Amino acid sequence: MKVFVRRSHLLVPVLDREKVETSWTHNADSVILDLTGIESEDDRSRARSLVKESIRHACRGGADVFVLPNKALARADIEASVYPGLKGIVYPGAETSADIEEADSILSELETGRGIASGVLQIIALIDSGTGVWNIREIVTASPRVCSSGLDELNLCRNMGIIPYADFDPFVYAKGRIVVETRAAKVQPIGISHPYGVLPQFDDADEIYQQALRGKNLGFAGAICPDPSWVAQCNTAFAPPADRLEFFRETRRLFSEGVARGTAAVPYPGTTMMIDVPVDENARVNLELWELCAAREAEKAKAIEKQESTMA
Amino acid sequence: MPRPVRRSGLTMPINNPRFVDRSWTRDCDYLNFDLEDSVPQSQKDYARSQVRHAIVQGQKGAAEINIRINCAYPDADVPAAVWPGVKQINFPKAETGAQIRHLDALITELERVRGIRSGTVRIGATVETTLGVANSYEIASASPRIDAFGGGTGYDMSMDMGIEMFVGFDQFVYNRGEGELIALALGLEREGGVYMSDTTGNVGNAELSIKRAEASRKAGLRTGGGLHPNVVAPQNLGLTPTVNEVEDAHRVLSFFAELDQRGETEGDMDGRIVDKYEAARAEELIEWASLCAHRDAEKSAAREQTVAELDEQN
Repeated sequence: MKVFVRRSHLLVPVLDREKVETSWTHNADSVILDLTGIESEDDRSRARSLVKESIRHACRGGADVFVLPNKALARADIEASVYPGLKGIVYPGAETSADIEEADSILSELETGRGIASGVLQIIALIDSGTGVWNIREIVTASPRVCSSGLDELNLCRNMGIIPYADFDPFVYAKGRIVVETRAAKVQPIGISHPYGVLPQFDDADEIYQQALRGKNLGFAGAICPDPSWVAQCNTAFAPPADRLEFFRETRRLFSEGVARGTAAVPYPGTTMMIDVPVDENARVNLELWELCAAREAEKAKAIEKQESTMA
Repeated sequence: MPRPVRRSGLTMPINNPRFVDRSWTRDCDYLNFDLEDSVPQSQKDYARSQVRHAIVQGQKGAAEINIRINCAYPDADVPAAVWPGVKQINFPKAETGAQIRHLDALITELERVRGIRSGTVRIGATVETTLGVANSYEIASASPRIDAFGGGTGYDMSMDMGIEMFVGFDQFVYNRGEGELIALALGLEREGGVYMSDTTGNVGNAELSIKRAEASRKAGLRTGGGLHPNVVAPQNLGLTPTVNEVEDAHRVLSFFAELDQRGETEGDMDGRIVDKYEAARAEELIEWASLCAHRDAEKSAAREQTVAELDEQN
């Protein structure tokens, strides 16, 4: 799968029309249209009928648009969602490879039937059970469509009988396992640091940034944002830090000079740090990610510009 | 085979004579001469040619000699690295059991043709990627030459996890947990150290080194290693039981022997419970302290002899 930048995934309930219609204005890398949590059959039918139009709204700012179906109603929800503009689905409560294989099969069928190129629709696998955490390797490798995976921490709490509590992170092991197995499969882990995974807050921008940054430093590549207030903070936190760019460039320059002199262990002046292959590689990876993030921002800015000129 | 003592060890580029020729003076339990990341590509062949010189230099201080090879070039590196005097081949960025089995086969053949006792050259499999952590069990169990194992941390792992290091919290809890659990399940020495907050990444921080070594020792860990000579003495000291701890362990064993004579399985000694687990811990500590003392005497004698020889030459 092509390398992608998806630092913020803004979650929007399909039935909340105001949120859907303004979802493209928040500069999210991705928007997830949520079909879950709808009680009545009438509302569910109405929600499904609104997905096609919702995709059009959500992608106006250049965001990758996903739909979050109900696990038990996956086929009907996905059938209502596969239209041009859709990037993929978020599969909730994945527990085994069979779950993903089934979703893959539905998507393949709909791609063929609706004139969408084969294999382009992606899957974000959300895990909300101990079984899912244990089987994460088979889940993330079950289909080449799986692009990201993360914990649905609130549902995991419910399924494990845990009462969310700010002072104690019950998912240290689960998050570590998701990060390691997901990255080992060359898939992007998504998540945020404790306690925001179980007790999200929306009013303190700096704290949102810190939680996202800590999530990044646990190995996550982005997060699901339950509120637009998280988007800008996640976009910044999950990108390489701007104030380190000069350090990364200097690291690369010093190392390259050292190699030319016949050494691959180069002291960084004014510090006790030694630059060797992994330190140089880390600088390269960060500079490349910075470029990718900048390209993503430019892509979204262009889409917004186009929207504004159309509206004008 | 006696339990190896590997409290301290320096990894250094084998192509740098300034480091290699002074390596015997550092009081390291082992030396890890590097053919990998600290050696530029253009110097790999030269580096391979330096192994026998490095063995001679390192042995002057009785350090155990390890060679770190490149995971990408085992077929070129192993014949250059396996010579009499080399105790361990370190394989970085281990990701599969197949890599280790291939390495084992290469070493087996070289032991045969170079007159090294069969099965005595160990393999140190270092996990430095998420795939390596995911495959830890198959890696650690791939060869009987592996006698120690630990979880993946460090720069390469950070890069693969997309994280910045030295941010003030433990980012490798899962990796370390997996590594230690697998080591215990396979009866291997657990490698690594306990986490201590470090926001500088200073590889020569002696103060932090001793704190970490002492904490690691209390957590049952016995191995160390690093990049800077400043950390060698703190690790030797911190991973060696103190005199008080050894005395206490003897008291625990005496107390437990008395309990045993009375047909009891546990009892109160100065306000703490002594049972078979405490006795086993005391026994291990005494054995470890004795191995450390023996190792220190061995290194000290070797260095003294080398100094005397150098004096004689001058």
